[in-house]
Amino acid sequence: MANEPQISADLYKRTFTNGLWRENPVFRLLLGMCPTLAVTAAVRPALTMGLCVIFVLLCSNIVVSLMRNLLKPHLRILMFALTISTFVTIADLFLKAYQPTMSEALGPYVPLIIVNCIIICRAEACASKNVLTVSIVDALGMGAGFTLTLCVLAGVRELLSTGKVFEIQVMPDAFVPWAAMGMPVGAFVALGILLAIVNVVSKPRT
Amino acid sequence: MDKIRYFISQSWLLIVASFCFGLLLAVTDAALSPRIEQNRIDKLNRLVKTLIPEAEHFKPLDEQIEIRTFRGEKEQVTVYKAVGTSGERVGWSFNAAGTGFQDTIELVVAVDSDFQKLKGFRCLSSNETPGFGDQIKSADFRAQFEGAPASELSLVTTGDREKVDSEIVAITGATISSEAVVDIINTYVTQVKEKMHKKGLVSDGK
Repeated sequence: MANEPQISADLYKRTFTNGLWRENPVFRLLLGMCPTLAVTAAVRPALTMGLCVIFVLLCSNIVVSLMRNLLKPHLRILMFALTISTFVTIADLFLKAYQPTMSEALGPYVPLIIVNCIIICRAEACASKNVLTVSIVDALGMGAGFTLTLCVLAGVRELLSTGKVFEIQVMPDAFVPWAAMGMPVGAFVALGILLAIVNVVSKPRT
Repeated sequence: MDKIRYFISQSWLLIVASFCFGLLLAVTDAALSPRIEQNRIDKLNRLVKTLIPEAEHFKPLDEQIEIRTFRGEKEQVTVYKAVGTSGERVGWSFNAAGTGFQDTIELVVAVDSDFQKLKGFRCLSSNETPGFGDQIKSADFRAQFEGAPASELSLVTTGDREKVDSEIVAITGATISSEAVVDIINTYVTQVKEKMHKKGLVSDGK
């Protein structure tokens, strides 16, 4: 890419870590709340959801970035939606074919990635304005941030609701599982507490 | 003419992309759909095999059986004949569905070869409250059905779970879910049994 402006390694690093912490999609931008609340009852579905989002985000960022100069401003959202829904459907079919149990456990939440605002947000805010390489790094950073956050939330909920993490017993036998943590109410409570912690930790330093 | 030219110039990307993405989806679907269908059949077979271990394969009856659900709707039920290793009939199985506490409960029910006794049920899909209603999947609740008479079952709140008879002891805190399972089984088993007798597929109780 000789004619593209020089991109420093520092920019890549900043773009990647942006998604992990400074602009973490769940904790900082509060995007993608639907899967965050719905699939975090256990770590395994949360991880699967995170990987699906990384795949879709990466593919849509690549496609959008490649055609960014051809996009007509008033038709761009339509193009984003078309791109995203294609890749989500592919991810859904792959899950159904190779991970049928997981696909059943996730239920409608895989097709619902289509309306996950993280993906359309990255297409609009990053991929449609940046070169291919930056868009790819951004997709990986944002996707990794989303996946990690989901896994942390799911880890807390799975531990408290079953005493297990990744289906491996970690709590002593005397531990009484909190069934409520596995239910929707547990998702709201756990997310609220985690958000509060993150807000305290990342208080703007003056 | 100018209008058409304007229209094309604005939307050519959208049209081209739609075709490309459509093609991509068609290819993926064609490649994966046999596997997805196979997964569904495998799952059903696996579940029914745990209920009728002596079955070697399952053969659907040529004619579907029409029953009335408790909402009064007509439904076509495909009954599968379980065939043992030497070709003898070892049981019957069919899918049954009804309204649970939160969502539809789908069961697969197995009955012995003379439609006299239940061989049990397994849950295909349900969305009952974790920790309470989802105990309909638990082994001790299911065990009450294994060997119970294939006629009207009744639900009681107290009783001996170990005793296998037409009285099913409800799960504490999940009466509605327990009732739903009993209702689904009653609705399907009694009607399928009656129709099968009429068709002469099973002999009257000897």
